[in-house]
Amino acid sequence: MIAVSALGAAAIGATLALFFVANARLKSANTESARAATVSAAAFDVRAAVVSIDVALQQVVEEYNPKSLAQWRRASRSWEGPAAALERAASASNDRQERRAHALRAEIRSYIDDYGEPVVGIAKVSPSAVRSSVAHTEGNIRLDQIVTDTDSVARNSAVIAADRSAAAGRLADQATIAGIVALVLTPVLLILLGLWLARVVADPLRQTVAAASEVAAGNFDVRLNERRRDEFGELAHVFNTMTESLAVSRSELIERADSLERSERHKSELISMVSHEVRTPLASVLGFTRLLLERDLPEEDRRRYLGIVDAEATRLAALVSDFLDARLIEEGRFSLRREPFDLRSLVREQAEVTLGHDENHELELELPDEPLQIDGDRARLAQVVGNVLSNAVKYSPEGGTITVGAAEDQGHARVWIADEGTGIPPEHRGQLFQPFYRGDAAAAGIPGTGLGLAVSRRIVEAHEGRIGFDPLDRGTCFWFDLPLEAAAANGGR
Amino acid sequence: MAARTLRPLILICDDELPLRELVKAVLGDGYRYVEAEDVEQAQEVLKESKPEAIVLDVMLPGKSGLEFLSELRAKRRNKEIPVVVVSAWQSADDQRTALSAGADAFVGKPFDPKDLASVIEALIAA
Repeated sequence: MIAVSALGAAAIGATLALFFVANARLKSANTESARAATVSAAAFDVRAAVVSIDVALQQVVEEYNPKSLAQWRRASRSWEGPAAALERAASASNDRQERRAHALRAEIRSYIDDYGEPVVGIAKVSPSAVRSSVAHTEGNIRLDQIVTDTDSVARNSAVIAADRSAAAGRLADQATIAGIVALVLTPVLLILLGLWLARVVADPLRQTVAAASEVAAGNFDVRLNERRRDEFGELAHVFNTMTESLAVSRSELIERADSLERSERHKSELISMVSHEVRTPLASVLGFTRLLLERDLPEEDRRRYLGIVDAEATRLAALVSDFLDARLIEEGRFSLRREPFDLRSLVREQAEVTLGHDENHELELELPDEPLQIDGDRARLAQVVGNVLSNAVKYSPEGGTITVGAAEDQGHARVWIADEGTGIPPEHRGQLFQPFYRGDAAAAGIPGTGLGLAVSRRIVEAHEGRIGFDPLDRGTCFWFDLPLEAAAANGGR
Repeated sequence: MAARTLRPLILICDDELPLRELVKAVLGDGYRYVEAEDVEQAQEVLKESKPEAIVLDVMLPGKSGLEFLSELRAKRRNKEIPVVVVSAWQSADDQRTALSAGADAFVGKPFDPKDLASVIEALIAA
């Protein structure tokens, strides 16, 4: 399109140039006509002067006297003005005309000097001799030649003027045709230019407006074409960058809102779970207390009921302190009481306490023969093993084998607890160690606070260890690594 | 001792031993009791005997009390046995869920001994 526009501009420019040239030619043709007129007038004067020279010479030949002699003298000088004027006018046309005029001047001079003056000289001494036909004929021939040459100068000027005029006329015709073509071509070009501008400017603008409207309506997937290497390409690039950063900000906001919502939901689930966990022992405490107050019971029953109240109240107290403890650990506000001990024996103890009376699950122990000496807080690590074990029990309600093992592994002590339970759905795996996160447990009616694994991770990490899990074909294997005592000592406490 | 054999039989299904003890103490010697720690045990009991009423906890290990209740109501046998749901989950929603699953009464934990006794008496009398 740019090429077409350039072509149009060139055509209009050429037309205008043609007009200028045609105008100049016409002017020059006019000048030439005026010059031809001047030449013609000068030639006429020259002819008149030559005729008067001839007449004066005839007078001298007819009657030689002072009067005719004076007339001759005058006539033989009077031609010089017109001849010079003719030469000036002719020389303005071209060199040939100038040469012709110059030759004519020499011819006239030669006629006067070589013919006129000798005739006058002879006429003074022998008038009859000059009246002879030979001399007369010679004069006529010369005179005819002069007249012919004078006419030729005038005619050539007229021819040149006519030629110039015809050329100028043709050029003017061409300029007129070109003008008409330009007149037709200009609006067509203007329309094409308009269409091109619409495509180049209006289309991308329209697309940008449409894309901006999409973004305003909340669609951040819209992108502009960045291929153009002009301001619109730049605009598209900036627009796309802006849209991308808007999309990122929005997804971050949504993520934050989701996370807040999740955290709120977890908290409300926690509150209802805590109230359930508290109400169960509280129901025993309150129920038996009422019975003891309201009924007259045998001593044996009274003692038994009081025993239950005591046990349930103790359980309640432990529950509350566990919960507070979990909060403190989860918030990182706890300190370790480290001492060297055998992790192997701790794992065995915990496994037996938790699973010793569980008829639903079978315990399989995989413990090494050598002790696993570590430097850590025994009570806190017992809490970790206890948490993971109670999860293994809770999340395998159908029963099955629970494998509890420990071994040395590259300077670390590794403990693992594998169940054959329901397993962890992939969508919950990433958030398992988040406080209050319980996945589908609340919906499935599995009790808990969602703090156990969060607390366990805090404790293990405080021991410079790692905790994690591997999904199994059936169930889940939780594990944690702790530095062995030597490694912990080398760690430079 | 013919009167003794006529005492109504009550199935107490709760995984918490103290709670089962409490229900027995509250209802007293006027009833006979059979206990179950989970749904599986409760189903075993129902194969052998036909209790006059069931006191049912909701949160049990394995199957929940409400699942058991729904299944019970769907069967031909024993579908008429009155069931009192006793639960620490006691929001309006929880109560509605229990009643729509087929419970005849709902008692929240902790409960007043007199309330549980009167609910059981009323259900058995009806």
